[in-house]
Amino acid sequence: MLTKAYYQGLVAPFLKSHPGVTVTIESPSGKNVQSTLQQELVSGSAPDIVASTLDPVVAQQMIAFPDSSWVTSTPLSDSNKVDGKNWQVATGQQNQSLVYYNQTAFQKAGITTPPKSLAEFTADLAKLKNAGYVGLQTAGEWVTGAQFSMMANPGLLGDNLNWYAERNKKKVTFEQSAYNTYLKAYAGWIKSGTVPKNSLGEKYQTSIDNFLAGKSGMFVMGSWLNASVNSAKNLPFKVGVFPTPTADGSTPKQMSGQAQPYSILKSSKHQGLALDLVKYLVTDKNAVTASLKSEGNFRAGYSYPGTELDAAVGKIVDTAPGTVNGTAGPGVNAGFGNELNTVVQSLYTGESADKAVAKLDSWWNANAGQ
Amino acid sequence: MQVSKESTRRPAASKAAGRSARTRARRRATTADIAMMAPPLVLVAGLIIVPIAIAVYLSFTDWNGFTSPPHLIGFRNYVRLTEDSAVRHAAFLTLLITVIGTVACNVLGLGVALLLNRNNRINAFLRVLVFYPYVVGAVILGFLWSSILGTSGAVNSVVGAKHALPFLSDPTWAVVTVICVIVWSSFGVNVVLYLAGLQTVPDSVIEAAKIDGATPWQTFWRVKLPMLAPTVTVNVVLVVIGLLRVYELILALTAGGPAGETQSVVYNILTSSFDNTQLGYGAAQSVVLMVVIVTVTVVITTARRRSEQAVAA
Repeated sequence: MLTKAYYQGLVAPFLKSHPGVTVTIESPSGKNVQSTLQQELVSGSAPDIVASTLDPVVAQQMIAFPDSSWVTSTPLSDSNKVDGKNWQVATGQQNQSLVYYNQTAFQKAGITTPPKSLAEFTADLAKLKNAGYVGLQTAGEWVTGAQFSMMANPGLLGDNLNWYAERNKKKVTFEQSAYNTYLKAYAGWIKSGTVPKNSLGEKYQTSIDNFLAGKSGMFVMGSWLNASVNSAKNLPFKVGVFPTPTADGSTPKQMSGQAQPYSILKSSKHQGLALDLVKYLVTDKNAVTASLKSEGNFRAGYSYPGTELDAAVGKIVDTAPGTVNGTAGPGVNAGFGNELNTVVQSLYTGESADKAVAKLDSWWNANAGQ
Repeated sequence: MQVSKESTRRPAASKAAGRSARTRARRRATTADIAMMAPPLVLVAGLIIVPIAIAVYLSFTDWNGFTSPPHLIGFRNYVRLTEDSAVRHAAFLTLLITVIGTVACNVLGLGVALLLNRNNRINAFLRVLVFYPYVVGAVILGFLWSSILGTSGAVNSVVGAKHALPFLSDPTWAVVTVICVIVWSSFGVNVVLYLAGLQTVPDSVIEAAKIDGATPWQTFWRVKLPMLAPTVTVNVVLVVIGLLRVYELILALTAGGPAGETQSVVYNILTSSFDNTQLGYGAAQSVVLMVVIVTVTVVITTARRRSEQAVAA
């Protein structure tokens, strides 16, 4: 949770070197930052800078950052351009195609090496269940769809970063994509009970608590989980991490997102000053390092003392063959993340994988260009 | 005695003077009326009429909340919502919650009010107890109940993982759970309103019924209930309007899950508007909901008024 105090601490050195400048940190009053911004734009009270991941639809309200090296060297600057322009610059990157695992559970289940392929992953889930563990920790709310995309998006976009754009042109379908493979595997896990059918009754925080209490063998989650693991006291087991499994067992690209990105509004009356502040936040070594540490994020060329788990995630990031986007971003229809979540959850309520993937295709066709 | 017509008539000049005096008085009255009514009219226009007009306008656009200006797209949003299965499901669920919730809240509210109608310390405490959930925020209640009924919640911790009950993970159970929690958290206000209504039933009428040999059931059915008709109308309308707009409790309890099974109309509107940045589409759904609420309210009020008049006759 990034608090007001956190951001005040982050901008304090900048304020020291810019006497007379004040920075007011504002918390979102709506459901999230983007919905708050929507309301503020309508009421004419938008801020100068937004510090949050936003949908590309917001881009036209933001200034285009200059093509300077300090902009192009920020994480994932290429994959989040809109109309060839950078409208968000990030401090770091979050990596999400990760499986955290309970090393004690693996030993008890007789699993000697982490699984690499979907088939191995499925077999290990069964072993964990036989050893008395919940094979894979999932949850309701937004978690179900998010975990699925963390696993399946490297397969969906790994060989074709323009897959979403091609889907918009109807050159490809979900039915013929990696999503179908993963949906079938997921439906099988539910059927075999290695993923409990009543998992949708769990909240996100409960799923973390259950994993940290040693109830489950594996937990698919983004690198921000490191902060929870590192701050947990007296863990009854050691936490390990490996990349999400792929259909053929190859190393996956990492589904990644910009961490703590900044945008500047066109309506800002202090664009020059706002640009100076954003440049400071994404380039100053101390500011960037503090930002990376706050959520366990990564950035090439920056390091900070971390735990064994931080180093393990860092190694996965370093050896990953690249990055892929999630369920939002350029070319993705608004609301896709919500729809994917609903569709994956429908597997728990008895929907077949075939029907689920067909739903995704029909939703995309109905919402293209909405 | 003959009285000439002339003498009954006022002279023309004085008639004209009278007319202008009346006109001036009328004008003064009209100006005063307008001056008196202006503040509430401005408030109503600013807070109700203008936002409704904006919502209606936006419902004919493809606005996402960020682009400007919004583009008019005719009735496309309205056509889309007739084809949207998520909207249909949300409408059905909201109807189910409204019908069951309205009956349950009123039956429970009236029943508990009858039980707590005597003034004593225990009843005073019980009234507070029953009303308390209504005072607590819906979001807090949602989280509270999810921690009680969730898969790892208090109830299932007692029952054990093997026999865990799918309160929030099975579609049917989740809908039933949502309705039960909504009723539990809402009916307190109905109890208070029915208690107020019961205070208005004269003791003399109850005494007369007793003297006539009426049983407690007959007294309730033939004396108290007809006299409570206006209170019933208020309660029904309030509950219907409240349940048609149910959102926060669902957000905190199930987040619309499992698999979108507990997404109400308002939940859908907010998801469309803000999560999916389709404000025009969300506005179209809002306009339809507003029309439904106004229609239902008018129908219920009219029907109740007619039945009250029939009873009075």
